[in-house]
Amino acid sequence: MPEAVVCVKPIPDPKHWDRLSLDPKTGVLRREGIPTVINPLDKHALEVALQLKDNFGWEVTVVSMAPPETTQTLKEALAMGADRAYLASDRLLAGADTLATAYTLAGLIKKKAPNFQMVLCGNMSLDGSTSQVAPQIAHYLGVPHITHVSKVETEDGSKFRVTMDLKLAQLVLEHQGPMVLAVTKEVNLPRLVNIMGILAAESKPLEVLSAADLELDPSRIGQEGSPTRVRNLFMPEIKRRREILKGEPEEVAEELVNRLHQAGML
Amino acid sequence: MNDYRGFWVFVEQLQGRFSDVGLELLGKARELADATNTYVGALLLGDFSEDKARELIGYGADKVYLFSHEELATYHSLAYTKLICQAVIQEKPEALFMGATPLGADLAPRVAAQLETGLSAHCVDLRLGEDRILEQIVPGFGGTMMAVIICPEKRPQMATVMPGVFSKLEPQNRQGEVVSMAVELTEEDLKPRVVKFKAKEQKTVALEGASVVVCGGYGMGSKENWQLLEELAKILGGAVGATRPAVDEGWAPEEVMIGQSGKIVHPKLYIGAGISGVMHHVVGIQDSEIIVVINKDPHAPFFEVCDFGVVGDATKVLPALIEKLKERLQVD
Repeated sequence: MPEAVVCVKPIPDPKHWDRLSLDPKTGVLRREGIPTVINPLDKHALEVALQLKDNFGWEVTVVSMAPPETTQTLKEALAMGADRAYLASDRLLAGADTLATAYTLAGLIKKKAPNFQMVLCGNMSLDGSTSQVAPQIAHYLGVPHITHVSKVETEDGSKFRVTMDLKLAQLVLEHQGPMVLAVTKEVNLPRLVNIMGILAAESKPLEVLSAADLELDPSRIGQEGSPTRVRNLFMPEIKRRREILKGEPEEVAEELVNRLHQAGML
Repeated sequence: MNDYRGFWVFVEQLQGRFSDVGLELLGKARELADATNTYVGALLLGDFSEDKARELIGYGADKVYLFSHEELATYHSLAYTKLICQAVIQEKPEALFMGATPLGADLAPRVAAQLETGLSAHCVDLRLGEDRILEQIVPGFGGTMMAVIICPEKRPQMATVMPGVFSKLEPQNRQGEVVSMAVELTEEDLKPRVVKFKAKEQKTVALEGASVVVCGGYGMGSKENWQLLEELAKILGGAVGATRPAVDEGWAPEEVMIGQSGKIVHPKLYIGAGISGVMHHVVGIQDSEIIVVINKDPHAPFFEVCDFGVVGDATKVLPALIEKLKERLQVD
């Protein structure tokens, strides 16, 4: 059966981002105690694959690169209906930028799902927001890619018609053969996890692999394989007057008009 | 690595029209090149005449690398990647910028991977470090943090840059050169096949150049209340923007969304009504000269970054404000 591979990224739950802070000494991001969730757009990518499974009997494989404690997060993808999951997890992979991440995920796909027909990603992750990994995975796999995908249509599960949303224009593309797609939330509505899914997930394979297992080139993974560096992180500096006006609408409106006039804005 | 010289810009085009962000980046590249005594290169792919390509010289380019072919009029990721990589390998620029548009976000990563170099996404500023290394300023975690990204050992240094953060130059009469590049494409380069191209109706959005921006969020409550923003903007001669939640509610079109995944604005006066002020939105307005925030929640984070904050229900404060302004400005 044809196989769809879905790339899933566990991210710190966006509901708790106000708890992120910088270590004043090291300048490193502190994210302790913040729960991990599947990047929301990745669920839309998974839904595309699950529909191919429902309609055409495809196999659905989930891949991820993350710390080992995120296996619990990947179980959610299995509970939604994926058949198996592979997690590349190794200290040597830490500090990877998008290029090293894409190299690693492509290595994982070549090793564990070499006959894939489609690789699916969310168009961006909410934490890094780079949108870069999908086209770079496609480069390493040597197949075409389409990002900003708002529609995936197929009649036979072999020839695909894909809509790419360029904001000012739409391209409709046709392709038969392996490719990488990065989808937006317009593409579908992901299914919810049900109790049967959760029970079924317990018996599905979830394998954790090291860099050595994947036979990756050590010079191309982790921080070593990442051409970009973070020179430093900073909190945006805010220098504003912060004059707060309170009272009845007419009073504050009058007061605000006066302030704006004084500031030369009217 | 010292062989790499020059700041390059990929100038995106749609139906033969240059993108604003491409022209904005030429302006920034001009500044960086002047500071380091080097040149600005523009990459133009499409179905173009040399005369049309020459226009980019006026916006700051010294050399325009023109790839003209009818198949290039429509975006093809593999063909674009191949031609851009060929030019980069031949000419060795130290940096290559693209707009952080959907097309730029589709193309730049593939080019970077093929060149095995670094790429930063959605930059809101570019500057040169003392070591002449390009510092690329990127918001992370929805803008809660700003990161300075560098690419110390690989060239070119690549970045996609948010539209609206730099200003394009007024077209000048400058000297420059159009270099016509060879275009050889195979059938494989043009896969996946484009079977349909639909340009969306381009609504004129006055937002980017507006000196006053009135912006509404989820707290506006309804499409009817949204009219208050339109009225206020009209009195002040400004434009109306919206946050992501307001766009999701259908109160405003996607084109006027302001924030990290929308437009960046820097008006003299910004008024935000019914907006809580997540950093995702704040990064789009933080360079405004004066920021006014109207919100009924006194603990809304937006008050932290305002000049004047009004604690009150926007749907009640705005009608009062509109009346007072009409009196003050003597308009009906």
